[in-house]
Amino acid sequence: MSKTPMPRSGVSLAGEATRTWNDVDVDPITLRVIGGALDSMAKEMAQVLYRMAYSSLIRESEDLGAGIFDVNGRELCESDSTPMHCGSIPAYIRGIDRRLKGTYKPGDVILHNHPYHGAAHSPDYGIVIPIFWEGEHVGFAGCTGHVSDIGGNFPGLCMDVVDVWAEGKLMDSMKIYDGGVRNDMLIQHILDNVRTPEQNRGDLEALVACARIGEKRFLELLKRYGIDTVMSASERWMDYSEQMLRARIREIPDGSYEAPIGYLDDDGKNRGVPLKVAVRVEVSGEDVLVDLTGSNDQVQTAFNVPFEGSVLPVAVSAIRTILLDEAVTEEYVPQNDGCFRPVKAYAPEGTIFNPDFPASCFARFSQVNRVFDSINLALAPVLPDHAVAGSSAALCAIAYSGLADDGESYWVYIEINEGSYGGRNGKDGMDAVDALMANTRNNPIEELELNHAMQALRYELRDESPAPGRWRGGIGSVRTWLMQTDTFLGSEADNRTDAPAGALSGSNGVSGSFVRNVGTDREEVLFSKVTQEVIRAGDTLEIKMPSGGGFGDPFERDAFAVLSDVWDEYLTAEDAERDYGVVVDTSTWTVDDEATARLRAARVSA
Amino acid sequence: MKRIGVDVGGTFTDLVLWDDDGTVTVHKTPSTNHDPSIGTMAGIEVLAERAGIDPSEIEMFFHGTTVATNIVLEHNGSDVGMITTDGFRDLLHIARKKRPLNYSNYQDLPWQKWQLVPRRNRRTVPERIDASGAVLTPLDEDAVRREVRMLRERGVEAIAVAFLHAYRNPTHEQRVKQIIAEEFPGVFVSLSSEVAPQYREYERFSTTALNAFIGPKTSRYIENLAGKAKEAQVGEDVHLMTSAGGLVTSRSASEIPVSLLTSGVVAGLLGGCAIGEASGYPSVITLDVGGTSADIGVAPDGKLRMKHLLDTRIGDYHAMVPMAEVDTIGAGGGSIAMVDDGGMFRVGPRSAGAVPGPACYNRGGTEPTSTDAMVVMGWLREDSFLSGSMEVIPALAEDAIRTHVAEKLGTSLEQAAMGIFTILAHSMTEAISLHSVRKGYDPRDFSLVAEGGAGPLFAWQIAEQLGIPRVIVPGHPGITSAVGLLTTDIRYEVPTTVWTSSDEPDVDLIGAEMKRLADEATAQLLADGVDATGITLERSVDCRYLGQGYELRVPAPDGDIDAEWVKQTAEAFHEIHGRTYSQRFDDKPVQLINIRVTGVGAMSHVRIREIEKGGADASHAIKTTTKALFWEPGSTEPAWHDTPVYRREELLAGNTFAGPAIVEQFDSTTIVGVGQRATVDPVGHIIIDRLTDRSAEEASA
Repeated sequence: MSKTPMPRSGVSLAGEATRTWNDVDVDPITLRVIGGALDSMAKEMAQVLYRMAYSSLIRESEDLGAGIFDVNGRELCESDSTPMHCGSIPAYIRGIDRRLKGTYKPGDVILHNHPYHGAAHSPDYGIVIPIFWEGEHVGFAGCTGHVSDIGGNFPGLCMDVVDVWAEGKLMDSMKIYDGGVRNDMLIQHILDNVRTPEQNRGDLEALVACARIGEKRFLELLKRYGIDTVMSASERWMDYSEQMLRARIREIPDGSYEAPIGYLDDDGKNRGVPLKVAVRVEVSGEDVLVDLTGSNDQVQTAFNVPFEGSVLPVAVSAIRTILLDEAVTEEYVPQNDGCFRPVKAYAPEGTIFNPDFPASCFARFSQVNRVFDSINLALAPVLPDHAVAGSSAALCAIAYSGLADDGESYWVYIEINEGSYGGRNGKDGMDAVDALMANTRNNPIEELELNHAMQALRYELRDESPAPGRWRGGIGSVRTWLMQTDTFLGSEADNRTDAPAGALSGSNGVSGSFVRNVGTDREEVLFSKVTQEVIRAGDTLEIKMPSGGGFGDPFERDAFAVLSDVWDEYLTAEDAERDYGVVVDTSTWTVDDEATARLRAARVSA
Repeated sequence: MKRIGVDVGGTFTDLVLWDDDGTVTVHKTPSTNHDPSIGTMAGIEVLAERAGIDPSEIEMFFHGTTVATNIVLEHNGSDVGMITTDGFRDLLHIARKKRPLNYSNYQDLPWQKWQLVPRRNRRTVPERIDASGAVLTPLDEDAVRREVRMLRERGVEAIAVAFLHAYRNPTHEQRVKQIIAEEFPGVFVSLSSEVAPQYREYERFSTTALNAFIGPKTSRYIENLAGKAKEAQVGEDVHLMTSAGGLVTSRSASEIPVSLLTSGVVAGLLGGCAIGEASGYPSVITLDVGGTSADIGVAPDGKLRMKHLLDTRIGDYHAMVPMAEVDTIGAGGGSIAMVDDGGMFRVGPRSAGAVPGPACYNRGGTEPTSTDAMVVMGWLREDSFLSGSMEVIPALAEDAIRTHVAEKLGTSLEQAAMGIFTILAHSMTEAISLHSVRKGYDPRDFSLVAEGGAGPLFAWQIAEQLGIPRVIVPGHPGITSAVGLLTTDIRYEVPTTVWTSSDEPDVDLIGAEMKRLADEATAQLLADGVDATGITLERSVDCRYLGQGYELRVPAPDGDIDAEWVKQTAEAFHEIHGRTYSQRFDDKPVQLINIRVTGVGAMSHVRIREIEKGGADASHAIKTTTKALFWEPGSTEPAWHDTPVYRREELLAGNTFAGPAIVEQFDSTTIVGVGQRATVDPVGHIIIDRLTDRSAEEASA
């Protein structure tokens, strides 16, 4: 499968505009109304999906995406679920188009997960329905969701696998409904080849229901306003988002901004060999290029990244987040194709960010989350008001699995452990929360203990003090499981060797860890990436998540904020004195103002 | 019998006195936010005087309040301590670890920024119960005693007690409650097994902590009000409206104030149901529009629907308590219109509020609001603001719209004003369709009840957009919530988690638990003085397909719990799943997760009295004719029409008139659009429908 080399100027997620309708002038009111309708239909699609779904990744974690797209896969609207998913659907559509363009019929439902043809990675099943209006193909309703198992070498997750065929069963543009006729035999074949057939069956139904509701709502909109008005309004909204983003890009001085080189722990097989992540952000006028030249060569394991389905959505999301932060931007800027247009990304062929077929690229989140983090760090000097110190720029996904009691079926449970954010200009980092490209929910412990032979011993903020800074880093969590049955463990995590970076004199954050049987004589530190590790009944697994870096000089931190952290047992009095120059009188638990002033002055003059 | 409903909102306190002979007296007075009981008691005096009775003649006192809600929204609750399971100190801090916003590095996580219980006061003790309810680690009572003493020394005002799996086995929490009573008598105590005995630890813990956070202040308020009412001999007890649309006694409300969080908006929905019923249209959609927000409710056949547990939030917090489905959106008379940097025309959710208010109020507001748009369109006239008692300056409204909207968009003043109204009405339309069409209900089967001062200004257009066949404007739109308080029963809902499945149902467990819940609900009602013969019990089950993560609430049949009962319940679930998600899976096993029994103590309901009859001709009620802006249905071109203005008080049953028309009354104005017809029904409600029926196809578009 040879491909034409990517231009050094990069490529974008934005789709080609080919107009088959008449462009009309849409009055401002109708424009607003259609914008609202698009937004709410995408949200409704996501709600249907996660409330109906079976896999805990979809239903609890909301590891899913949904939206409406035009015939070229240009995104008209997306659900506000996980950014990683939504941005990838245009790439799925392009992958499907390459095989099926010209053959679409009303009633088709297409399943796709090929990571070299647009999928974010193979366990993210994509369902795409072509939408027909008055006999003409006018667009797509699409959604994606992470299913529990896709029949690869190992249950749930995989790391040390030989190639893309070993990571799971690939579905390349398969019509599971052809012109309205369900292909039961194909569906059965798909389900017969995974370890969690019942869950996947329910998830497939939920994905189809989600895409259908999108199709239905979009057709209702067309019926009400006509295709010319709806599509013209959509064009205006895409242009609007593009203009808003370009206006912010123009405010950044032209130049090439490089992040400090980051290192990923290893590839999950060749231990002790860190992988280089080089991120350069080039701003020229109102365009941005995220250049990953210099990053590591592709690896022999699943620790590579699908370029189209994962690198591109991350570049777009990072730039959008930094420049049009939803919390501080008053204007409502819908996420659509317009946000994709000003942003391009480039990664040389044969690197972890643009691997050559058929390298496996199942485990890609830690690498792309590091890219997001590095884009933050690269732009920090020119955008100090938008900058964030280093966050837990990985994804800690752990698959727990085993044979069920019946000896025939598998149980698979995939958990995404949260990280934390770096300190921010004017605010401490967010504690124990999914960071950057990830935004999933945790599972209730009380549900897990009912369904699986696992018992939670601990789930709280970790004990190590947070990274000092004028605005301190966020605090990661610690979670300890007691296995009640022999359990297979697979993981993709990172941030063991290269802790989240501090910014503007803030300290570096704290690394994460996996420890088996912590606090016993059988204590053993595990690698961040393990493949089919066996945890015996009675063993425990402690998972510590990284704490983000500090922002600014800790000696400038408000003394009361330091005291408050002592009261809350984030810091000891010794920490306060050493790291912040704040002297706490431990007889009254108040700040000794005089001693503090002395200590802080001494360091300044030193 | 004489009864009063008092709805205390942020701005106004609405009071209504209802005599069983059908006489209704209403009063509206500014709320006294520092101590709402002052305004309430003073209002009752005025109300009684107007009705020509002594306050002591009032036999029942029903109350809806935003006291608890405001504490949550303003983050000014009490200092709370928490006792929880060792190893799980920070569940409230981690929450569900999902950021509210996707594309934001600078957002705040509300549960971390405004903590219900600061970490220093979250204390853990050794104890552990497993999913089956078995004790893995016994409760360390010495540790509990130590921590309670420490919290007492720190001066907390409330203690939340929340242990893992306490919904299954509450003994440890109950023991802690006893120890608190010994060590720290008088402190407000909130147990997770009492407040929200259902699985999902974060939601249960958060609900319990929230209950503790609002507990001391809310219970003080309720006890204070109940005391004053007793002193004045008003009613036997103050009954309060819960978020689930039932009434509870002041004692019960003081213990679980978290059940009161959406009290006022639910009362508005209930009031709308009573109004629909009186007009002969029981299926209603209610639209209550005030200055800053609009509350939207949907009640098929006049029955409240309960929210999905993922949606039972208040402000920034999750509250796992039953809440009737009412949605609040930021759209009201004060919603501000603007053209943003990208050239987009936006209205709301930012609001000018009461201060500085709409530009035409001349109180310092310069940005145009929807009220300004209605002044420009001629719908709100200078003497229509509280019957002319409030000064407005139309020129200021025109200036604001011209400068901030018309000139920026390059449209006429008229088009800009119409646009402000249409965009805002459309956001209400979207919210209604989210709660109707998208949940499997057809708006053509409903009537739209216009409530609040501004509801009747918007309703005609929304009915038009959604194909709702008629609008009902009650006699006093502004006090519908207060009326709603008088139309419901005493209700207690008691839930528990059972976790069983339709393919292997544990009917003994369900049967035993159902009986326990029924006994608890009955005991509660008897304790409230409800007559045993007036008690009915309603069952419901939260079901899902085996393997799904979220339940849907299903009404369950009465009778013995056996295989047939399980089958019927599963069938009801298939039906509801199909309606909700457009798909049902009849061959899949159904999990029965939580069961609930609601004890209902029937109250006699008020009846709306008929008004004086007249002929079809309504011209006697016309006070003037004015120039007002209207448009044909579906058109975007507004035109000036000579429009009659009717006096609401002079309209008689049977009067009918065509739109465009304006109907004015003291605290509300009703608009009838072009192509619409208004008819006054026997109980004095204005029914707005279309002059000509449009085809079904057009309505569904």
